[in-house]
This record gives sequence, structure tokens and C-alpha cells, in this order.
Amino acid sequence: MSGFEILSIAPNATIQDRGRSGYLRFGVTGGGAMDVYALAEGQALLGNGPDDAALEFAAYGGRFCARGRLWVALSGGDMRTTLNGTPVGWRCAFQLEDGDILDVGAATQGVYGYLHVAGGFQTQVVLGARATHPGAGFGHVPEAGQVLEAGRETSEQGAVTLPTPRYLLGREIRMMWGPQSHYFSDEMRADFAGSTFTATSTRDRMGVRVLPDMGDVYSDAGLSIASDAINLGDIQIPGDHIPAILLADRGSSGGYPRIATVIGADLPAVAQMAAPRRFTMAVVSRAEAVQAWAKLQSELAALPKKVTPLVRDPREMRDLLAYNLVDGMLRGDEYDNG
Amino acid sequence: MTTAHKFGPPVLRVAGDMGLLVEFGTAYDPAINTAVIEFELAFQRLALDGVIETVPTFRSLLISFDPLTLDYERLYDACTTLLAHTDWYTLPPPENRRRWVLPTVYGGARGGDIAEVADLMGVREDQVIDSHSGLPLTVAMLGFSPGLAYLGQLPELWDFPRRTTINPGVPAGAVLVAVRQTVLPCVEIPTGWRQIGQTPFRAFNALAAQPFLLAPGDEVVFEPVSDAYFDAFSMDDYLRRASP
Repeated sequence: MSGFEILSIAPNATIQDRGRSGYLRFGVTGGGAMDVYALAEGQALLGNGPDDAALEFAAYGGRFCARGRLWVALSGGDMRTTLNGTPVGWRCAFQLEDGDILDVGAATQGVYGYLHVAGGFQTQVVLGARATHPGAGFGHVPEAGQVLEAGRETSEQGAVTLPTPRYLLGREIRMMWGPQSHYFSDEMRADFAGSTFTATSTRDRMGVRVLPDMGDVYSDAGLSIASDAINLGDIQIPGDHIPAILLADRGSSGGYPRIATVIGADLPAVAQMAAPRRFTMAVVSRAEAVQAWAKLQSELAALPKKVTPLVRDPREMRDLLAYNLVDGMLRGDEYDNG
Repeated sequence: MTTAHKFGPPVLRVAGDMGLLVEFGTAYDPAINTAVIEFELAFQRLALDGVIETVPTFRSLLISFDPLTLDYERLYDACTTLLAHTDWYTLPPPENRRRWVLPTVYGGARGGDIAEVADLMGVREDQVIDSHSGLPLTVAMLGFSPGLAYLGQLPELWDFPRRTTINPGVPAGAVLVAVRQTVLPCVEIPTGWRQIGQTPFRAFNALAAQPFLLAPGDEVVFEPVSDAYFDAFSMDDYLRRASP
């Protein structure tokens, strides 16, 4: 069986797939890839199934050695990457031979980058998914010295690439008012919806803190409410009055008031907003939110058709810098964040 | 609807583009919690296509749905109709709820905060144990960490707050108390709740055929046992014996 030997890896790297469904009632949030668009890119680049698992990196990757022949793909937020010391592009799939060294460095755009193998990584399935949930204590924790097995040795796709999606550059996040919005004054809500925000580096798989230009956000009435379920994308206002957008590994329930909820279609953009990205938050109607969700789903389904052959296979190229491997230009018809 | 009690009426609230919250109250009360549990059972019987999951808590039920399969208005109407069926706040706990007896070591190294709790309650340590054990408690909700159960409701003497400082790690099975509630974590957690005991019973095993044993509405009784009993305890034997 072929796979990757981990030579070194950033401590916050995890195995992620689509995550778990149906366990929120037991205190287990869904987990899964922070950026579902990036996960789908990898599946499309390798012809993988929707449940296949990838390595998720936060801001920094690691150093990996191919054990046997291996098909790999890179997706999500771009990370500086070399193959046997030579730079390779991002958002593409190619073959490795036994002993090849893939070095995934710092993110140059976005936050979360993904390393996929054909057939997905074969780590243990817990509660129906491979997603690592370090806080909950289950799922595989990747560490140096391990060999992560690939599900397949071949990819029918060949050496291929995908265009850069527009959501990685997103500067407007859409939200809907939620079940606790009424704990905030009309004036506070109007200021919140009209504010410009700065993404901070206080972030992990549980969520991201965002600083509004309007200053402190607070509710006088909502401090005595009993805990209830926290939704993916809920914007919670903790005791320090700095909003937190709650994401895949959030707690399942909580008592701090939540002012609004980011719509499902914009969660990949929120996950990929590196500090100090400036952005606005717009309140949208249910119809707009559902339309955006439908559009994201059809974009994900269409990804395999957008896959195009790489100009040349990275392994065979001596001077990769001479080629434009991944076209960074926006074509205009990619997943549209606006 | 005319009601003879202080609760309700339940309110339906938008929870993002993929959620509807059925809110029965804003605080924890056994009547509100039972309404949530009973409403969930009735809602599940509707078996609406497009419902992803339902999450019962102290005071509300979150319904997560796929908006491309289930229309929000249809879900809203189904809930409105169901809510009008009965006075949900006066229903008895579900008939099929299970009853669990959990062996528990109180005090000592496994319940290091019991003296502090006795002080807060103004009683002796043995009275803390007498008050807490033998009393049927109800699983109000699961949350915070996998399988962690919030149990209600202890007598008013137990109405003291959580600590303002956080203990970085209490073990799985710790019996934690504050605000008339008992919390039972299944994995090590940081907490501000005070630990008066520990049970070797494990309500969560990720690799078991039934990973989560406790469900909202279940009845739980804590039974004092010795450290020797705790050390010899086997979860497999317990499950073979128990027919809750």
C-alpha cells in the first residue's frame, strides 16, 4: 500500500472529511473540513468520493515523503510548496514516485490548505467520519513518523488543475438575524450590520474572532439565558464583547448571546479570511441565502467538469518557475461570492 | 390557548438559513425541558423529508434542515400545527425513558470539592451525600463535550453558583454540581463546576455499537459505593446486568 510518511507537520494539522451528522444532540459538533469548497476541489482533482479524507493545514503544512507511487492534490488556501526542492503550483493534482519529498510551507493566501491523496487517507472512522476532533478526543492526530495510507495508487484524472475560486478573495459576508438577535437593541444591530470588520489571528477550528469598527458589541438582556444549541456560523458575543464566528469544531451548546448567523454559502469564505482581512457583513433574506446555498451546491457538483490538464506534469519539469502552472487569473464564472 | 401555568407560549425563531428553533422558554425548568423532549418525539414522528437533525436542550429544540429539500414555510407550518395540538408544558416525562443507577464514590480523592460544597450548603459532608444520592434526577440535555449530561433538578439548597475560576481538567465520570444541577462529563474537561464524586460509569464510548447511553428525559440515580467497588467496576458487566 502506498502513502505519505510524515517527516514533520504543523501541530494544528488534522485529518478532515465531510464531518459528522446527527450527533449534535449528543454534544458532538459536525467537524469536517473548515472549507468544504476546498475539500470538493481535491475530490474533483483526484476523482475521489465525497467521503474521502484529506490532511487539513492551518497556515502552515509540513514535510512529507512518498512511500510507493502516489497521486496527490493540493487545494484550498495557497501554500508555498516544493516537490524535491522545486516549487510546484497549487490547486492541482500530480503523481509522486517512491521517495519524492513534498514540502508544504506557509500559506500565501487564505488560512486552510489541503493535501489529498487518491482514495483519501485511510485513518480510523469514528462516529461515521474520519474528521479529527482534538477537543472531543477522537479521530486520527497526524504526527511526525507516521505513515498515512492512501486509498488508491492511481488517479484516472491524470495531472490536472482547477481555476482559482473567487471566494478566497471575499470581502462581504452574508448573514441572517437569528434566534437571539432580539437581545440586542435595534441600534446595536443596525451598527453591526453597517460596520466594517477586521479578521483577527485569534482563530482555530472552533471559530474566528472579528473586530468591528463600531467597537464593543453587547446585549443587556441576554446574559441570563440558559444554554441551547449553537448553529454553524452563529456570531457569538462573549463577555469581552468581541464577536466570534463559530465554525466546525465549536461547542455544541452555549449561553452567550448570539447576534446573527452567517449563511451556509459563505462559511468557506469566513474560514479562509486571514488576518487582517477587512470585510463587511450584509443582512440578506432567506430567499437570497437559500439561492446562494443552491448556487454553491451546483458549483461543487460542477467542479469535476472544470478540471483541466496541467500544461506539463510537475515531476517531469526541470524548471517549473518558467511555466505558469496554475492560472491565477479569475475567469469570472467561478464560484461567485457576491 | 388558556393555561393554568406560567410557561409559554412556545416561539418559533429563525436560526440561519438551515435552522428553525422551537423555543419553549429562556431558562431551565423541568416543565420547559419536558415540553422540549415530548415535542421532539412528536416532531420526529412527522418524519419530514429534509430534516437533517434535531437538537433538544434545556429550553428549546433546534431543527436543522436542508433548505433545498424542505421548504422553510412548510417546516414552520408543520411546527405551528404540532404546537397547537396540546399544552406541551403539562405533559409527563416520556414513558419509554430509561432509568440508570450510577455507582458513585463521594468525597475523598474522587470528590475533592465536597467540603467546599458542604460549606456552601451549610450542612455536613454526609448530608451532602444523602441529599445528592438516592434522588431521581433527569437528563435535561447533552452538550459541551461528547455525551456530557446536564441533570436536573436538585433541591434549592444546591442553588450556589459555579466557580469564577476554571479547573483545567476534571476526569471522565466526575460528578459536578452547581445551580441545582449535576454535570456528568464523559471525557476530561476544563470546568468551573465543583466535583463531589466520581462514577466509573461511562456514558460515551466512540467505538461501541451504541456510543451514547444517556438520552434527554432519562432518569439517573447516583448510588454511593466504595473506592474498592469503583476500582473493580466493569462497564461490560454493568451493561449485561442493567436492563434500564
